[in-house]
Amino acid sequence: MAKTILAVDDSGSLRQMVAFSLKAAGYQVIEAVDGQDGLEKARNQVVDLVLTDQNMPRMDGLTLIKSLRGLPSYARVPILMLTTESSDDMKAKGRAAGANGWLVKPFDPQKLTEVVKKVIG
Amino acid sequence: MSKKKLLGSQVKQLLSGVSDHGNAHLLEVETDLAQTTILLGEAIEKLGVSFMALHAAISSEQEEINLIVSSGGVSDESVLRLKVIQEDISRHISSAVTSLQFQDLTSQLISRTLQRCEGLREVLGTLGVLGNDIEHDGESDELTALLRETTVRLEKQSADLKNLLRKAVHQKHLDSGDIELF
Repeated sequence: MAKTILAVDDSGSLRQMVAFSLKAAGYQVIEAVDGQDGLEKARNQVVDLVLTDQNMPRMDGLTLIKSLRGLPSYARVPILMLTTESSDDMKAKGRAAGANGWLVKPFDPQKLTEVVKKVIG
Repeated sequence: MSKKKLLGSQVKQLLSGVSDHGNAHLLEVETDLAQTTILLGEAIEKLGVSFMALHAAISSEQEEINLIVSSGGVSDESVLRLKVIQEDISRHISSAVTSLQFQDLTSQLISRTLQRCEGLREVLGTLGVLGNDIEHDGESDELTALLRETTVRLEKQSADLKNLLRKAVHQKHLDSGDIELF
């Protein structure tokens, strides 16, 4: 059974490219338009990996990660940040919040799928 | 008109002029950015649809090619050439996926610029309001105090704006970014 990835980003074109790349690699993709939407979808269905943007309306990526880590079912689910942010300070905040990795946009589809494969197989 | 009156009047005129002209130009900037956002939005939507349609067509074509190749009616040389072409297509698709993320980056930059315009409008508003407070025949001490107060308020507004608008997009090219696993 294909593993499921929750892709959270307020940019429709970015979500489209993430979904395209991951589906081509055999993963199922659930899309969420911001952190709040991501949290609701994550509560409805426990996924195998969360890929989230940082700067989004309503709820940002760091808040989403902290909220997810507060849910027992997401204590060990890998969470990767996919964001334009690239400062060491932001990466440290992501790590402290519970992120397992940091990808700086724009992403290369092959590199993205390689990382995802490395993390969840 | 005395020198004192002239100065008060000129400072008043200068401040309201900066405020009015600045606001008019800011409005143009905002209008152009709104138009740019619409054009970029339409461009990415059409590019996305075309990209998906192209990919679907190429995938169908590849399936047909695979059938023809598996039927044995193609020379080894042609099979090798087809493989090279397929690798080229994959490389171009990857490159297109990376490039098609431009709108996510540009929209963040435009949004930040619009927020800065909004902040700048408030700064110009301060100049206009304080300009109105200046008496044509005000004492030079009053004028000096008012200008000092204006400078302090402008510095604060500018600092607040700088703190509010942290830059989240530093990319200058559409090359793929770094990856780090913790």
